[in-house]
Amino acid sequence: MAHLSDGTLRRKFDEADSVSESESRHYSSCADCQSRYATLADDARVVAGALSVPDFKVDVASAFSRVRSAPAQPRFGIRLPIVRPTSRPVMGMLAAATVVFALIVTAVAQGVFFQPQTVQVVPVSVADLQSLNGLGDFGTLAWTTQPTPQIVTSAAEAATVSGLHVPIVGTLPNGVSSNVTYAAMPAAVGVFTFDANKAAAAAARAGKTLPKMPAGMNGSKLTVTVGPAVVEIFGNLNIGTGAGSGTAAAASPDPSQLSLPQLVIGESTAPVVTSTGVSTQQLEDYLLSLPGVSPKLAAAIRAVKDPSTTLPIPIPIEYATSSTVSVQGVNGVAVGDNTGLGAGVIWIKGGVVYAVAGTLKRNAILNIANGLK
Amino acid sequence: MVGANFEVAGRRGTVTTNEDSFEALFSAEYGRVAGIANRVLADPHEAEDVAQEVFIDFNRLHSASAPYAAAWLYRAAAHKALNRVRGRRRRERRELTQATEEGARTIDPQHMLEVSEDRRQVRQALARLAPKPATVLVLRASGLSYAEVAQALGVGIGQIGTLLRRAEAALRKEVTRGTSI
Repeated sequence: MAHLSDGTLRRKFDEADSVSESESRHYSSCADCQSRYATLADDARVVAGALSVPDFKVDVASAFSRVRSAPAQPRFGIRLPIVRPTSRPVMGMLAAATVVFALIVTAVAQGVFFQPQTVQVVPVSVADLQSLNGLGDFGTLAWTTQPTPQIVTSAAEAATVSGLHVPIVGTLPNGVSSNVTYAAMPAAVGVFTFDANKAAAAAARAGKTLPKMPAGMNGSKLTVTVGPAVVEIFGNLNIGTGAGSGTAAAASPDPSQLSLPQLVIGESTAPVVTSTGVSTQQLEDYLLSLPGVSPKLAAAIRAVKDPSTTLPIPIPIEYATSSTVSVQGVNGVAVGDNTGLGAGVIWIKGGVVYAVAGTLKRNAILNIANGLK
Repeated sequence: MVGANFEVAGRRGTVTTNEDSFEALFSAEYGRVAGIANRVLADPHEAEDVAQEVFIDFNRLHSASAPYAAAWLYRAAAHKALNRVRGRRRRERRELTQATEEGARTIDPQHMLEVSEDRRQVRQALARLAPKPATVLVLRASGLSYAEVAQALGVGIGQIGTLLRRAEAALRKEVTRGTSI
């Protein structure tokens, strides 16, 4: 019989009964296994002693009341890391990422029976973004299936929650932590109902007058399906530690505890939008005629050749540079440069949107993206 | 806290709200979660601080009745505590103060200082290990079974012996670089 593995011997140290009868027979007659056991048992004892701590008692009731009195936080609140104001490319990445999170809005803006198969850059300015009205100003969004993003403990659990294959990174560049945090979300479905009165009231509050909604748009419904999605975050993230614990030591966030993720890989089934009423053209014309949409932005969106199958990626032109790249055999959009301060790439393949971003050089990001399995 | 009474179709019963579930989870696991953090930090006050943050984070992100709740809490406690050791320079100053205070109450101040210094060096060595070996050591040393450690790390139970063996060898080597263990 082969020698017992280190793992088996180590478990034997903790649980003598864990070895099988044949393993036990081998062990009792094998000097090599006994010698290795003696070494690892010594290590185990020494480490147990080194990690020993004096007993301490906790007051569960008062701890619970401290936790209960902690300030309320959003249910899915990941604090943004502190970024040096001088890190403009990184700021650009964050800005770009923030804009990408507005995909639903963009998707709605782009059309009916929207099912993107490719990506295209739409340059925007920060002023454009600030001037755009929120989706909520034009009607009401009701989730028939609530988005339930959650942090999970493993890739397998992320796959179970999302039903997606979790991308596997080929080779991580030197310096990127192999510590991965997984987040996953099942598909969510929302129904957005246009409401002309609500839109007019919101515009009046902002001192603007909206163009009249096209006939049939008021009351028409867009059904938006987002996800399922999976996110892999590499690096020692400090997620949501800002709630405080009621003790003086934790009352203020500790900047030394915050860090940028080194690498983020996201995967989501492409959003799908269907409509009960308005056509793509009507919707596009109306949204682009709103006050605040600059002629430049309107022209850029109109330049998208097939709005029903193209996912526009808004890139803040003041902060980030972008280019079309080939990734995994399809066209994608790369953002950032080779300074190593921040870069990202996004593409759609087989009806699934993929994104890879991080505080790495653009070439390194592209290598990771192309190596995903 | 008791569940809210309800009446549906003429039948009486008790609803277990998420709030009830969270309190039950807290009562069942707080001691263990704080213990895991204390294993890393060797500082009961800071350990409780970490444990409470872990529960706050969990409650914000997950349902208390999630089947993975305990595993999530154990792993998060180990990670958060390890991050504190990694990130905090001021901890060294606090330990020095503590050691001095402890020393003043004992008959052998020099010995207490040495114990505190050894403990500090071990924790720093632990924090220098990769997250997975550091976590496996902390969770096992905190009394979790092989099955519980495997669940917290999201690996098969058959891998725990190997992970533990490698982690112990790595920690011993890491500590030996700086002190005697």
